[in-house]
Amino acid sequence: MATILIIEDDDIMLKAIRNILTKSGYEVLTAKDGKEAFELLDNKEYDVVITDLMMPYANGLEVVSRLRSDATKRHVSIIVVSSVGNEETITEAFRLGADDYLKKPIMAGELLIRIKKLLDNRAASSAKLVTKKK
Amino acid sequence: MFSSLFNLVFSAYEQFIYLPLFIEIAIVFIYIAVFATVIAYSVILYKRWKAYVEEKRLAFISPKIEQMITEQVLLNENLERLPVEEIEFDRAALDDPAFKHKWVRQAIIDIIIQYRRNFRGEVGELLRKLYIDMDLGKESFDKLKNIRWEIQIKALTELTKMDITISDVTILPLTNSLKPELRAAARNAYVQLSKNEPFKFFDIATEPLLPWDQLELFKIITTTKEISIPNFSRWVSYSDNKSIVSFCLKLIAHYDQQSAIPAVMGLLNNKDHMFRADAINCLGKLSAEQSESKLIEIYNTQPLICQLEILKAIGRIASGRHLEFLKNEFLYSYNFDIRMNAARSLIRHNTPISRAMVQEMLETSEEEAKLIIKHCQNPLIK
Repeated sequence: MATILIIEDDDIMLKAIRNILTKSGYEVLTAKDGKEAFELLDNKEYDVVITDLMMPYANGLEVVSRLRSDATKRHVSIIVVSSVGNEETITEAFRLGADDYLKKPIMAGELLIRIKKLLDNRAASSAKLVTKKK
Repeated sequence: MFSSLFNLVFSAYEQFIYLPLFIEIAIVFIYIAVFATVIAYSVILYKRWKAYVEEKRLAFISPKIEQMITEQVLLNENLERLPVEEIEFDRAALDDPAFKHKWVRQAIIDIIIQYRRNFRGEVGELLRKLYIDMDLGKESFDKLKNIRWEIQIKALTELTKMDITISDVTILPLTNSLKPELRAAARNAYVQLSKNEPFKFFDIATEPLLPWDQLELFKIITTTKEISIPNFSRWVSYSDNKSIVSFCLKLIAHYDQQSAIPAVMGLLNNKDHMFRADAINCLGKLSAEQSESKLIEIYNTQPLICQLEILKAIGRIASGRHLEFLKNEFLYSYNFDIRMNAARSLIRHNTPISRAMVQEMLETSEEEAKLIIKHCQNPLIK
């Protein structure tokens, strides 16, 4: 079972995504701001991190940047979910290492498909790595 | 008791009238100040108490509402199997006695709107269905009849967010409300909700469309999906409302409605010079080559603002037929803005002839003219 961390300051959105993902069979942990997220990231391994951009303490771009600069967490798939839709922010998120970007309002089905796709890609690339090593 | 109170007041009054005038005035002011302070503090305390009670109530009911929405919408098993219209909610959950109170129903509306802000697609549609099935539209329509404009605006926002059609009889009068905030909200709602004729309110608008409202409306028109865009020249020709005409000129330019050029040219004879300036600006943005000769013809009779717009328009049209005119304006005008705009339009042509002309002017003109040309040639300066 894949473990997902949701970082979102909007309480309603946080609970809604948590419910949808739990129903789909994922283990879900939540953080309401960047600070709380960093604590959770330090204590546990995650397969996917879903993060908002505008949050107190540390914004989503900082979360993406920190995950990508940490060698032990670099493999984590990151999906940015935000209402910010301007080109520069989206480009910046991808430049820092986000794997996907969803603009709010989101479609629940689309989010699930994207998570599945990222997890499948990860599984495929780690299988390739094992074959290469052999 | 009543007579002793009366005697007390009467004796106080007797003492008061024998006091010096400035003391009397001071006493009156002290009483007014004390009274006003007591009132102000009472109002503040009352409002804080009301907000506290509301917060407590919401903290109590919100989890229940969120749970209902989660069960009925987010985790609805039928969401993947059936089209949204065919999904039926669990009536028992919707008819919970706790959801009957007016303030709870308002909380449900607010929470559904919050969810809709985050979810579209099937979940968004199912949230709308929940709003309809719980008959929450009734609350919103009731608010629309309220005499307080803030409440009417709230109702309009709710209905717009939930994509509920409002009849023209109800909403059109609001688009002409004397309260600018309500007027703007009604116009925005009308554009978003009316799919066939979203600009019908232009026909009856008697109140002005304020600059800020124009900005907001422009954003809504250009970002709303599936909106039917009419030919805006209709209002340019017939509307008596100046702000509507001015707004339509901006929309004509934005949607590049070439068929509107004759109607826009009709405004060049208008008495209002601001109107003429807007029309000239629009013609320039439409690159209306057929209007060029008319613009040159009227140039000398126009006030400065229109002359500047004509110079800009000729630069935008850039047919190359009036390079000499631009050169003369640049070389011989005494007005700095005219020289600047003439140079800009000349450079904007960017043809071999215009480039040669600019080069010649750079070599032969005096220092100030050279500075203007170099300034206008800098692509970083807009």
